[in-house]
Amino acid sequence: MTDIALGVASFPALLLLIFLRVPIGLAMFLVGMAGYYYLTGGMKLTFSVLKSHTYSEFSSYSLSIVPMFLLMGHFATLGGMSTALFKAAEAFLGHRRGGVAMSAVGACAGFGAICGSSLATAATMGQVALPELRRYGYSGGFSTATLAAGGTLGILIPPSVILVIYATLTEQNIAKLFLAAFIPGILAAIGYMLTISIYVRLHPDAAGVRPPVPMRERFKALAAVWPVLMVFLAVIGGINLGVFSPTEGAAVGAAGTGLIALLSGGLSWPKLAESFLATGRNTAMIFFIVFGAAFYNAFLARSGAPQALSDFIAGSGLSPWLILTIILVLYLIFGCIMDSLSMILLTIPIFWPIISTLDFGLNSTEEVAIWFGIIVLIVVEVGLITPPVGMNLFVINSMDRKTPIVETYRAVMYFVASDMVRVVVLILFPGITLFFLRLFGG
Amino acid sequence: MPRHSTGAHRRLYRLMLRLSQTMAILGGIVLTGLIVLIVISVAGRSLNTVLHLGFVENSFPQMAKSLLDWGVGPILGEYEVVETSMPFTILAFMPLCLLTGGHASVDLFTQRLPQNLNRFIDLVVAVLFAVSFLLITWRLFDGMSGKMRYNESTTLMQIPVWKAYAAAFVSAVVTCVVAVYVAIVRLIESLTGRVMLQIGGAEH
Repeated sequence: MTDIALGVASFPALLLLIFLRVPIGLAMFLVGMAGYYYLTGGMKLTFSVLKSHTYSEFSSYSLSIVPMFLLMGHFATLGGMSTALFKAAEAFLGHRRGGVAMSAVGACAGFGAICGSSLATAATMGQVALPELRRYGYSGGFSTATLAAGGTLGILIPPSVILVIYATLTEQNIAKLFLAAFIPGILAAIGYMLTISIYVRLHPDAAGVRPPVPMRERFKALAAVWPVLMVFLAVIGGINLGVFSPTEGAAVGAAGTGLIALLSGGLSWPKLAESFLATGRNTAMIFFIVFGAAFYNAFLARSGAPQALSDFIAGSGLSPWLILTIILVLYLIFGCIMDSLSMILLTIPIFWPIISTLDFGLNSTEEVAIWFGIIVLIVVEVGLITPPVGMNLFVINSMDRKTPIVETYRAVMYFVASDMVRVVVLILFPGITLFFLRLFGG
Repeated sequence: MPRHSTGAHRRLYRLMLRLSQTMAILGGIVLTGLIVLIVISVAGRSLNTVLHLGFVENSFPQMAKSLLDWGVGPILGEYEVVETSMPFTILAFMPLCLLTGGHASVDLFTQRLPQNLNRFIDLVVAVLFAVSFLLITWRLFDGMSGKMRYNESTTLMQIPVWKAYAAAFVSAVVTCVVAVYVAIVRLIESLTGRVMLQIGGAEH
């Protein structure tokens, strides 16, 4: 077998292991090891590569951002920020048709600004918003679907853990990716609110009516949100203005939310220990996948398969747009069975060399990388809410035992449709994603 | 949580859980320390910039000078502290993730397989994890020996790199202990047909 054939053959082997429930990081690690063994004809070089990887993959300054952002999300919840956000959104939007659901989306967007994970956002806001939705007569499936979709804003609105990983894989600037994700994130929130407004007109009995809140109360609720705003502005503003690096921004954010949690009295020692355990568990999961992927990708690059695939596709004369469409459809399919992070780590080393050589009429490879990254991020997130296996759907549904998952499936399709419209718009008009970058001369 | 298990096993499980949690909390404390360090460094650098501003130097020359002389500024080598502490921290989180089944996997296709086959997969995965972590720990040890021999240290802070390896090695050893424990439990389970360790689905 040639090296390239070995590289190509490794991918189905890897998928087989993954589909047999071997944890994704472990599967990548094992296939990478086996591949190295065959490529180099012995264990010697394999072990020497492993020696450097075991330390260097964990000793990364830029990836230390990941546990910091995770901790920040926990602190934000302990500090009561998720509740404050929902109350503020509800005070302003709650009395509209479908308003409580819109508030949940708005609060998810706000929480996404201090939390880098979809599932965490969905789960946190679910706890706050589900009881309120029920109280005002919102139907079960509509409520769970709204929160599952709202959760995806957590990853889209910066800071985002997956964008950090994407940035390291494609060697792009994290700050620029965060900046680029901003407008698509806002568009997503607006799109979801429009979806809700359409949904309640098609299904008038899906939502009850909530009395309006007096103006005074509204501004009181709004005032309670200022800590979230401060943290977000400090972190994202600081990173984008170059006051500090993304890692420093994450540290400042974690410290800020930690301080708020401490002052609000939400940060007792047991709660802190709990945050450490949850952060640690997720961090370990993420880094083991990063570790396995680094090993597998090193093998893959050495086999020459991604380069050969990229040359083959570039020489095939297919339209770049067709290739992009095929890749995105693949992401949609994979998104239904795999978590977003694993998918990014598994596929970007293969797809990015292909995409980077294609001409989409953009000004630079950097623009292509950022635009492609944001679109992939959205498509991958659609997978989180696509029936039958979207992860967010399960997380939210497990919090509301009374609602059969089929009802959630039915309602969430409206949100999936909204996502699709947004993806098409962002593909056709790259200028939307790249607006801020071009504005600031990036 | 374990069900249908004997008293001895329950005690061993509790011990493993406590060990994993202690490591994770230690990791969390180190992480918090790094966060505080970075924040102090950022604050120092910002204050340093402010003190060098023209109007501050003109209006409060004495204060600006004494603060700067006192050393207000970024912590040089903060970067190195983070890089040398991260391997310990990340690996300290591993035992808990392993014990509680936190690693992401795809269970869509195996749901319909018979229970025995799923048990077998659990066993194979647990053994593969144990072997992998033993391998990783051995390579880490080898790496540490190399750094000790050449006495390598970081550029700015002169942190001996082998110490960072040693700390990571400790975490890795604990991970190995837990991984081997899970593998043995899985083996006993598949031999006896008892359920001793019920690990919840992966949280992504």
